[in-house]
Amino acid sequence: MRATEKLSAHLKNRLADLNRAREEGRKIICYTPGGYLPEELVLASGAIPICLIRGGDHSMVELAGSYICRWIDTFCRAQIGYGVSGEDPYYSILDLLVVPVTDNHIRAVMDVLDYHTDMDIFPFGVPHMKEKAALDYYLQGITRLKNRLEELTRNQITESRLREAILLCNRERDLLRKISLLRRSRQVPINSKEFVALNHGSFIADKGFMVEVLESVWEELEGLSPPVQEGPRILLTGSTLALGDSKILDMIKDSGGVVVIEEFAEGIRPYWEDVDLDGDPMAALANCYFMRRIPPAWFRPGRERLEFLIRLAKDFNVAGVIWYQLMYRESYKLESFYFPNMLRKETELSMLTVESDYEASESGPLRTRIEAFIEAIRE
Amino acid sequence: MTDYYDELLAICGFEVEEIDRERPRIEKAFEKLELGDEDIKKAENWVRQNHDIDLVGVRKLLGVWLKELIDLVLAKDEGKRVVYYGFPTIAGPAAAIAAASDEIYCVCPDAVLCYTMGQIFNKLTPILEAGEENGLPPGHGLCSLQQIRVGGLAKGIIPVPDLVLTSSYYCDMGSKTDELLHERYGHPAVYADGSMDSRWGEFPNFLPERADFLGIQLEKVLSKATEVLGVEITKKARYEGASRSRGLFGAVRELVGLIKGAEGQPLSIVEVEVARRLTSGSTSRRFMTDGPQIIAILNQEVRERIDKDIVVVERDAPKVMILMAHFSDPSITRMIENMGLSIPVTVHTTLASRIMKKTPFISGEDLAKEQLERGPFHGSYGEIKRAAEAAQEFDVDGVIFNYIFNCRPIAMLSHLLKQFVQKETGIPVLSLEMDMYDSRTYNESALRIRVEAFAEMLRAKKNLL
Repeated sequence: MRATEKLSAHLKNRLADLNRAREEGRKIICYTPGGYLPEELVLASGAIPICLIRGGDHSMVELAGSYICRWIDTFCRAQIGYGVSGEDPYYSILDLLVVPVTDNHIRAVMDVLDYHTDMDIFPFGVPHMKEKAALDYYLQGITRLKNRLEELTRNQITESRLREAILLCNRERDLLRKISLLRRSRQVPINSKEFVALNHGSFIADKGFMVEVLESVWEELEGLSPPVQEGPRILLTGSTLALGDSKILDMIKDSGGVVVIEEFAEGIRPYWEDVDLDGDPMAALANCYFMRRIPPAWFRPGRERLEFLIRLAKDFNVAGVIWYQLMYRESYKLESFYFPNMLRKETELSMLTVESDYEASESGPLRTRIEAFIEAIRE
Repeated sequence: MTDYYDELLAICGFEVEEIDRERPRIEKAFEKLELGDEDIKKAENWVRQNHDIDLVGVRKLLGVWLKELIDLVLAKDEGKRVVYYGFPTIAGPAAAIAAASDEIYCVCPDAVLCYTMGQIFNKLTPILEAGEENGLPPGHGLCSLQQIRVGGLAKGIIPVPDLVLTSSYYCDMGSKTDELLHERYGHPAVYADGSMDSRWGEFPNFLPERADFLGIQLEKVLSKATEVLGVEITKKARYEGASRSRGLFGAVRELVGLIKGAEGQPLSIVEVEVARRLTSGSTSRRFMTDGPQIIAILNQEVRERIDKDIVVVERDAPKVMILMAHFSDPSITRMIENMGLSIPVTVHTTLASRIMKKTPFISGEDLAKEQLERGPFHGSYGEIKRAAEAAQEFDVDGVIFNYIFNCRPIAMLSHLLKQFVQKETGIPVLSLEMDMYDSRTYNESALRIRVEAFAEMLRAKKNLL
């Protein structure tokens, strides 16, 4: 696709573009993934949002061993490695690191970076239950963030600027959603790796540019009539699918599986819901990003997400589910114990749980298990 | 008539008449717990080796834990409505619920199992293994305290509760485990949520909305308890619960104060922790009413030891502070003392002795504020800062930060606490990875070498070599 080539070229130059933007006085606001930072606020302040989504590199995990024990989620340890070493250049150019505190693993990243680096860090809490008090707390958090951004950028986040940003982000979500839904067809016009690349790109690219890319991709795909994909259709879910962590996607593809839908807490932008443009925009942001968002496994109870997975499995007509989690993210580990029964009861589908610590040595056993699973579910 | 368990119960402070009276209950509970003749003999030796049973207070403390175990195992059979709460927890709501009705039995079952099946019987392994088989497999850094809860239920040792109060404001694991259990057994659960979103250096200040939110969540627990149990948690019950808790915390505070003021160490930290954990193990009348009286006996015995100059660790031994004593295996904490290190205090003991000084449980918000001021529920910095303060207050020569590897809020401090405390206080810190509930991997011999080297270093520093 020509549009994705354009995106690749844009991302290649992104760092240089950001440095230029900084020289011109724009602020770079980086944030930890999880889908709880409304990028609209950053855009409306005139700053540039960048999600720190890089992972998959075990050397960064090893490096983190000097700062924290190994019992923290692999991706989060990698962030500590990137953050303290500067190996991920985005950590070196940020003006503010925003941390929506979702669970203790993300909190660990925040605390270690706060202690060991000079980064300016702004945390706000993401409660774990969908209740009015929790919504209020989240709204208070993003309101504090709005004030901090105004102070940092010296730009007022006016209602009209915020609405403009919401429109842009809604457009991005809408396009991602439309592209993703094309995969319900037996003729899958875009493979998972390409879709994930678009998703990851959307965390880093200029928002206006990204929307243009997605428009082009949508136009290209709409007219296509690809052949029916052979091989079992797979729902891939889990805690984090980081930029650079493509091992799982490659292995499924190599084993003859076709990933037709992904659901991840970190690494896949939540695109199922749009921000309402009626009423108070801050309340609308909170409503969309907190209340209507399909929650990750660290919400309690986690039924909503598990039921959503079952709906996805049915809607996308999958033949099996692969649950890809990173080591020591306990919320996912526990749900992976009882979800297979729920899934089987509702859909008669099987699930394979695999784990990674970004180690090269895990590839062999991982590949064998995936191949065996794909064979077992092949019609 | 005597039975195979009489001697053990006598060691644990039971009176003869009490044993005779309770015999049917004891036997029924031991049967459920799969405790036979051999187990009891082993337990006698285990208790003699690891607990200071010369002291009546210690015997009675072990006894009160054992009685609590029997109550827990038989609670449903005896017509109680059972409420479980988690660890660590904000004391208050559970105590108020327990005070609202004598028919409600409100307990942290995993803590009770640790302090009995571990500390007394040294027989936690089958329960841990059952936990591993039922959703919390080994090798994934999952909390062994939660494995004990899951295993206890899976083996039918502890009853399925009528309600679970899940503390969701500190760790993610406890609430997810309760969710797993809810999926399996169907009992209702109420989650008291929170968000540990303080930034480094913010403690002791906190945003008012944080206390508001946590306060609302603590109030929610009481509303749900009323709805599920059909018992109104009145203002009087709140006061009563708080008053009972204050008595217990007061007795613990006195014990900590006695040890702090002593020249040498008159009592092993193992026993101090056996006393202190009454504050988090259960809100039963047994703990809340008998507990302070038993600790008062112990305190008197400690006073006598101080007067007679009796110490349990060599007088000139370097003093260290640890995070907390092992929940289930006293031999590990004993090993540190046997290395010639005096442990006058644990970080968590100092925190427990701080609370309940001022605010009774009037509202969730008051309680939330009090808890945020303590440190650990505030955030990493709060916990570390409090540890540094305690190390200075108790004038220790070293800190052994025996962090629990499978407890994320604590494990994430593995390096930070050492770096911060050493930098701020100049006191050397050994960061020692262990499991506080399960000693199968992190056992005494595995930990001994590291502690020995640290002890040598501290002794050298004190010019004792």
